[in-house]
Amino acid sequence: MSLNNLILLTGRTINQGVALEGGKTTKENVRAAAICAFDKDDFKKLDCLVGTPVKVITDHGEVVVYSTISEEGPHPGIIFIPMGPWANQLVNPDSQACGTPTYKGMKAKVEVMRSGRVLDALELMKQLRVA
Amino acid sequence: MVERKIKTVYDVVCPFCGTLCDDLEVDIDIKEDSVIEVRNGCQIGTKKFFSSNPSGHRYLKPRIKANGEHKEVSWDEALDAAADILVKAKRPLLYGFSSTECEAQSKGVELAEILGAILDNTASVCHGPSLLAIQDVGAPLSTLGEYKNRADLVIFWGSNPVHAHPRHLGRYSEFVRGYFRKDGRNDRFIIVVDPRNTHTAQIADLYIQVKPNEDYELINAIRATLRGVELDAKEVSGVSIEKIRELVDMLKLCNFGVIFFGMGLTQTLAHHRNIDAAICLTRELNDHTKFLLEPMRGHYNVTGANQVFTWNTGYAYSIDFSRGYPRYNPGEFSSVDLLIKDEVDSSLIVASDPASNFPAAAVKNLFKHPLISIEPHETPTSAFADVVLPAAFAGIECEGTAYRMDKVPLRLRKVKDAPGECLSDKEILEKLIYKVKEKLGE
Repeated sequence: MSLNNLILLTGRTINQGVALEGGKTTKENVRAAAICAFDKDDFKKLDCLVGTPVKVITDHGEVVVYSTISEEGPHPGIIFIPMGPWANQLVNPDSQACGTPTYKGMKAKVEVMRSGRVLDALELMKQLRVA
Repeated sequence: MVERKIKTVYDVVCPFCGTLCDDLEVDIDIKEDSVIEVRNGCQIGTKKFFSSNPSGHRYLKPRIKANGEHKEVSWDEALDAAADILVKAKRPLLYGFSSTECEAQSKGVELAEILGAILDNTASVCHGPSLLAIQDVGAPLSTLGEYKNRADLVIFWGSNPVHAHPRHLGRYSEFVRGYFRKDGRNDRFIIVVDPRNTHTAQIADLYIQVKPNEDYELINAIRATLRGVELDAKEVSGVSIEKIRELVDMLKLCNFGVIFFGMGLTQTLAHHRNIDAAICLTRELNDHTKFLLEPMRGHYNVTGANQVFTWNTGYAYSIDFSRGYPRYNPGEFSSVDLLIKDEVDSSLIVASDPASNFPAAAVKNLFKHPLISIEPHETPTSAFADVVLPAAFAGIECEGTAYRMDKVPLRLRKVKDAPGECLSDKEILEKLIYKVKEKLGE
């Protein structure tokens, strides 16, 4: 299943903050930041279980993260990925000449992955080095 | 049973977020010289203290990359390699500085000037737009104590302190009892404006769900309504005109209001224009009552980085020394823009992790060129750095000064010694300056 016409927001979560202080290259950081939080009703449309990997695609890139239901809903049409290497594969690097990239508010679509793997932070970086 | 000798350090300043809580108590095992308990801290701050203990991902010795693998070397060798990279570079970038103390930041400025480098701090990717807006239209700011004692209406716009500044609500803005707000939470009306019903919104009195990227329109609709203009629309940014009118009445009727704003305004499409509008709204509200605003700064000493850079160079961030004197132009000399244009040919990262926090397009170019990382832990940046210089945690393993989000300087405390051969950021930068000068024949 897939969902189109979503808006991607990114930002701090307390779990992501704790995980990065505990070690940015650890599995805890993957569990805390490599997730995409959906509105409850949007998630039903995906027809999958919580934790199923999903591929999030924007005009600026794509990344595979674990799906979850947002505790900070309802926010129909909006998906949320905590700040970090996974979110940054998708954000708009254009700063409109002010220095700060547009980290929030990108158009996005989501596809459920039946056999996808979520990369850890170092694997993601290796991909960027090769690219 | 092994008997432990414990030392307790009181009134410790937490080096995590801009709230800079100064009431932590930290228990140290004297024999092991490790943190065994932290009281009063939030979840993230507490974790930071514990993560200063030696672990699998803490660097204890300098490292150099050889044949694709890091190997431990002496300080002399590592500093020599780092200085070599910096001296050979035509357009080096010095970035980070927000999670270290002011003394180290001023050494960073000195090094940038010697090298003719680009100097930038993390404000570049967070509250840079707020600084631009403040330069445009000024800002009615105050210290956090004033808000705590006086504010009876608090707006969190595009910020989620429950997650990002966990103790802000308890210390300054929501639950705390103030001199004129004796009943704490009951004496304050809390409004949250955000596209998501955040945990902060869930404990607020009024939640306004704004459409993503449309904050600018909503702020200006509020300004227009405040001036008595009848808006010819049923809703603006997903908020009904009736709700906007209701909100404006509340803003006018309060005794002392404050807007705490965060990344929801600075990192969305309109960037600094959002803050321009928010500042103008605050200014106009002062025709009716007392109103102030405050940026919710993220890193504990990003405000300090802006202060130190400003009193050294005249500018808060995005500074270019290539002509021998400081020039300032966010968008041209800001790290992400420079990296995307691939203008940088080597980078020195101090207490920061741009590989995690910059957009992928910028990270690709960061990795293309030599990279030096001054960092206590393994991060996605340091893991791929050519030289890693292991640092002590400022505020845990060395003293220093840090500026709270409201520009109040506080003295960071040392609670334990740094493990292994770790040195403070200031010492590392001093040694690096010495090496660089030596190579330049100065």
